[in-house]
Amino acid sequence: MKYFRYVWKNVFRKKSRAFLTMASIVLVLVLIVVLSSLLEAMEYDPSGGRGSTHIVVQHATGLANFMPLAYRQRIEQVPDVVAVAPQIWFGGTYIDDRPENFFGQLSTDPEVWAIIHDDYTIPDDQLKAWQAARDTFIAGQQLIDKYHWKIGDRIQVKGTYISMTLDLALAGIYRGPDESNIFFHNKYLENSFIGRMSQTGIFFLRTNQPAQVPVACDAINRMFENSEAPVKAMPEQQFMLQFAEMMGNIKLLVRSIGLVVLFTVVLIVANSVAMSARERVTQIAVIRALGFRRGQVLALVLSEAIVLAVLGGLAGVALSIPFTHALVEGMKHSPVAPFAFNVRISATTLLTAFGASVAIGVLAGFVPAIRSARIRIVDGLRQVA
Amino acid sequence: MAQPLISIEHVSKIYRRDSLQIPVLEDINLDIGKGEFVALMGPSGSGKTTLLNLIAGIDTTTRGRISVDGQNIATLGDNALARWRADHIGFIFQLYNLIPVLTAFENVELPLLLTRLSRHERREHVKMALNIVGLADRMEHYPRQLSGGQEQRVAIARAIVGDPAILVADEPTGDLDAKSAEEILDLLNRLNAEFSKTIVMVTHDPRAASRAHRMLHLDKGVLSSQAAASGMERAREGR
Repeated sequence: MKYFRYVWKNVFRKKSRAFLTMASIVLVLVLIVVLSSLLEAMEYDPSGGRGSTHIVVQHATGLANFMPLAYRQRIEQVPDVVAVAPQIWFGGTYIDDRPENFFGQLSTDPEVWAIIHDDYTIPDDQLKAWQAARDTFIAGQQLIDKYHWKIGDRIQVKGTYISMTLDLALAGIYRGPDESNIFFHNKYLENSFIGRMSQTGIFFLRTNQPAQVPVACDAINRMFENSEAPVKAMPEQQFMLQFAEMMGNIKLLVRSIGLVVLFTVVLIVANSVAMSARERVTQIAVIRALGFRRGQVLALVLSEAIVLAVLGGLAGVALSIPFTHALVEGMKHSPVAPFAFNVRISATTLLTAFGASVAIGVLAGFVPAIRSARIRIVDGLRQVA
Repeated sequence: MAQPLISIEHVSKIYRRDSLQIPVLEDINLDIGKGEFVALMGPSGSGKTTLLNLIAGIDTTTRGRISVDGQNIATLGDNALARWRADHIGFIFQLYNLIPVLTAFENVELPLLLTRLSRHERREHVKMALNIVGLADRMEHYPRQLSGGQEQRVAIARAIVGDPAILVADEPTGDLDAKSAEEILDLLNRLNAEFSKTIVMVTHDPRAASRAHRMLHLDKGVLSSQAAASGMERAREGR
């Protein structure tokens, strides 16, 4: 501890260099926290560890193809399936086509919505009002907070790939894991081309127990494997993840980017520490002459790198929290909104980021510290200070 | 001379640059007594600083033996030698070599960080050392805020704060104006006379050398002559 003042003062010997080096660490740590939080969001379990009971069934070839509505009755016969709702992603524009006005619009069967979404809550009278009128919708609290809709307010959503405009009145407000969507009646789409063909985009269903999900998926897949429209049934979490994976193995990509950036910042900090040590060859020779051992010189230079990295780490971790929140706010108004609602900055992520900063310090400081410890006193003193 | 404090026997030093061998010191034999003030003189490249470095334990001999207070320092390992330097040697450099980011107080305190002294004890020692060199009122000043003479006095305070028996000074007045140089030499004489420090000083300056008890001349690595400095008696009288 008595050496700390010496270390501290040497860290800030060249203030601009120290702050720029710390800034690079801050940027990297913010990036690590954001990427880790996004990765965690992708792997988010809406059931909170209890295991989800939800299954999504889509056409085996992808979401671009639809399935016959008639499949619903057959899926309902699968053992342990509690309820099934056909759902269509409307994908319309509200107010204008700016990303910030984007939110999910899903048609569904209001009669079974509450049974299937057992992790959501909605007042009974609002649910009944929605079920009673086909030109009504329910919205998540997040959207209510954003648009300040009140019960009875009407909204118009212009279709994109479905050429019709929804004109809906707000019947209810729900709370739950993802409050960024509106749900409206399937019947409203009866006059659209999908409705006329008696088709749907997906089936959303619930089983009794999480353990029944894989069994039910398997049964549903086998049920339609030789039909004209084979299906792919999967747990809800896997369904969400496939959007991200449309861009390739995004998790591997994110981790690779994180590692490359981390390695780059190690090189930057190592260069900064090495430069600082090179400039102080005479100083190091002097303290060696005064009686400091090689090991002590190594520890001092290494400590400088660690102090620099830890300061950057603390600032990075502190700044990453508001930065991630700002990013999430932005994401909530984009097509990846469902992920945004799952983004949490966990203590593990923050600790990992802080640990990474310490590792940056150790890795970056090690070589310059060894070099400094190896300086021959007479050679160091011979250099002009 | 009674039992010498520093005993140099048949010491040679050869530097190797690739396949080239450069002899710097050849068969040096020298005894320096406790409390002596010795000036090493000679032209550039004569081996003065090399001999000083060998005595101070920051360089090693090619041949021969250097004993300080009966201890053959060639037998010490790197860590033991570092410890030995901290205990026995105070360094005074031509360019002062203070740490620019540390205050005068912190610079002087530096060698004491290696001891087991408490913070309070360190503070007392540093204040005493700065008092001796007359800079007690400049404790919180950084080197850039001091004149060359003041910087050198802080360096001397750093050299004496651990109470070493030997002070090695490499051109201590080489970077100073005449007045500051005189003040530094007065201080060295005082440390020698009042505190019995054994001083080995490398210098080009005959006036500085005249402050020593003994002048040694090196020429091409060979100790060519020894002479009592003309000012020796006056120095002993504390001038």
